[in-house]
Amino acid sequence: MAILSTPASTVRLASQGRPLKEHLFRIALLASLAIAMIFLVVLLVYVVTQGWSRLDLNLIQNFPSLRAVNAATAGVLSGIMGTLWVVALTALMALPTGVLAAVYLEEYADKTKWYNRLIELNIANLAAVPSIVYGILGLGVISRGFGLGPSVITGAITLSLLVLPIVIIAAREAIKSVPPSIREGSLALGATQWQTIWRQVLPASVPGIATGSILALSRAIGEAAPFLLLGAATLVRFNPDGLDSSFSVLPVQIYNLITNSRPEVQVVGAAAIVVLLAILLLMNSVAIWLRNRYQKRW
Amino acid sequence: MTEIMPNITVRGPEAPRNIEALDPVFTVSNLSVFYGDYEAVRGVDLTIGNREITAMIGPSGCGKSTVLRCFNRMNDLIPGARAAGSIMYHGEDLYGDHVDPIEVRRRIGMVFQKPNPFPKSIYDNIAYGPRVNGMKGKMDDLVEQALTQAALWDEVKDKLKQNALSLSGGQQQRLCIARAIAVRPEVILMDEPCSALDPIATTKIEDLMQELSRDYTIVIVTHNMQQAARVSDRTAFFTAEVDEQSVRHGRLVEFDETSRIFTNPSDKRTEDYITGRFG
Repeated sequence: MAILSTPASTVRLASQGRPLKEHLFRIALLASLAIAMIFLVVLLVYVVTQGWSRLDLNLIQNFPSLRAVNAATAGVLSGIMGTLWVVALTALMALPTGVLAAVYLEEYADKTKWYNRLIELNIANLAAVPSIVYGILGLGVISRGFGLGPSVITGAITLSLLVLPIVIIAAREAIKSVPPSIREGSLALGATQWQTIWRQVLPASVPGIATGSILALSRAIGEAAPFLLLGAATLVRFNPDGLDSSFSVLPVQIYNLITNSRPEVQVVGAAAIVVLLAILLLMNSVAIWLRNRYQKRW
Repeated sequence: MTEIMPNITVRGPEAPRNIEALDPVFTVSNLSVFYGDYEAVRGVDLTIGNREITAMIGPSGCGKSTVLRCFNRMNDLIPGARAAGSIMYHGEDLYGDHVDPIEVRRRIGMVFQKPNPFPKSIYDNIAYGPRVNGMKGKMDDLVEQALTQAALWDEVKDKLKQNALSLSGGQQQRLCIARAIAVRPEVILMDEPCSALDPIATTKIEDLMQELSRDYTIVIVTHNMQQAARVSDRTAFFTAEVDEQSVRHGRLVEFDETSRIFTNPSDKRTEDYITGRFG
């Protein structure tokens, strides 16, 4: 017994100053988080207080006006509708294209071939291209080159190109996370590669694809830069009624309202920001809901 | 007959059969499998008998799984993998130019090491194979039949709509066997089907294999020698050998009736392995 026991002098269970370091580290982590949160809260509070007097139904029911006389009743309806049109069309174009491109890269592309690696590299590069550059592309090629003009479809195509790389990357990650054993199981039953992708891989990656896509789209909703170049008119007093209709989007209207010299008009801009943030939060909540609803089960 | 492993029960020593005379489903001759430039398995000659259980045993890295995955051309899915030599399936070259690997896999089913049910309902797991193969007939009956054959029906008949991943590991593996049976294959390949299961679940799968061998030809890769001895009719012993260029290749050492492999092996290496002196 006595031989086996450790001499008391070697036992060191006493504090060695570690708690203090642990404490400091925790504080540093919290502080980093706080910086992000505080600015968000300040922004929210500021915007809501600025726009509070105009957070009413007129805001989402009426068309915009830059005249101070109308400041009490003017709204951003055409911007909301324009944004919804453009985003819906973008989703319609970018999601199928992006998912199919991701399927090619993940399931078919031979990664030892140089051109496939080049494509991969460039998709990552495209995701980092500033949105204003896409605006120039839209203006030069789609609006003027294809002659589609400053229309809803021009805006949607431009925005599609902007979100496409992000959708491809998100979809690839989702497809990659489907375990290879699922593919093997399907192929071993005599399923073709396409049957395996369509019936096993894609359904299993839907939550990931949906979450990534919604986040990409909600980023796109906040874009003003490409639309400024595309000539999305600032003061549109009608809703889009077709693909070739002229339009405006919320961020452009906000930009226009906020830069107006009349304080009454600026208030409408602040209120419109709240509307934009509400739409963004709504979309993000859908993404979170989707993620939780279809939790991975393997 | 010397008893090398008295603690191992060998499946009934039936009338000794001649390897050459058996009714072959697969005839493997001089099969080598390459991954890129690396020759993983070299020069295998093997015959798989109809409605028999053939076990492939050997230490890790001896190429037994690689050979197994040639039988349904699963190795095609690995970039750079190719097979040389020939595997005849009822006299037809499995690797012939006109052969469609999809059709091969429909006739030669596979059960994997780790149970891999699809993240769908139990019903849909079974119905998947028949559906993708465009099989006609009443799906409900087909599902019941496959689950009954896999000795799982009584346990799951009240929860067919439940997610297959809610089943236990052993049940999942039997589900995977049922899934393979549902497309009515002729052969079932099993790649260490019990290695992720507890002893009770293992016993159930072994009983099931015996049951299934009446209707199906079964090839099983296993690390468990007792399992090979218990269930199989014939056993192929593989090992890894280093050649003159000091490259390791999987080789087939001995192929014989299981009772003979485990009681009176003709090769010293087989004897060393099954008596636990090596591997």
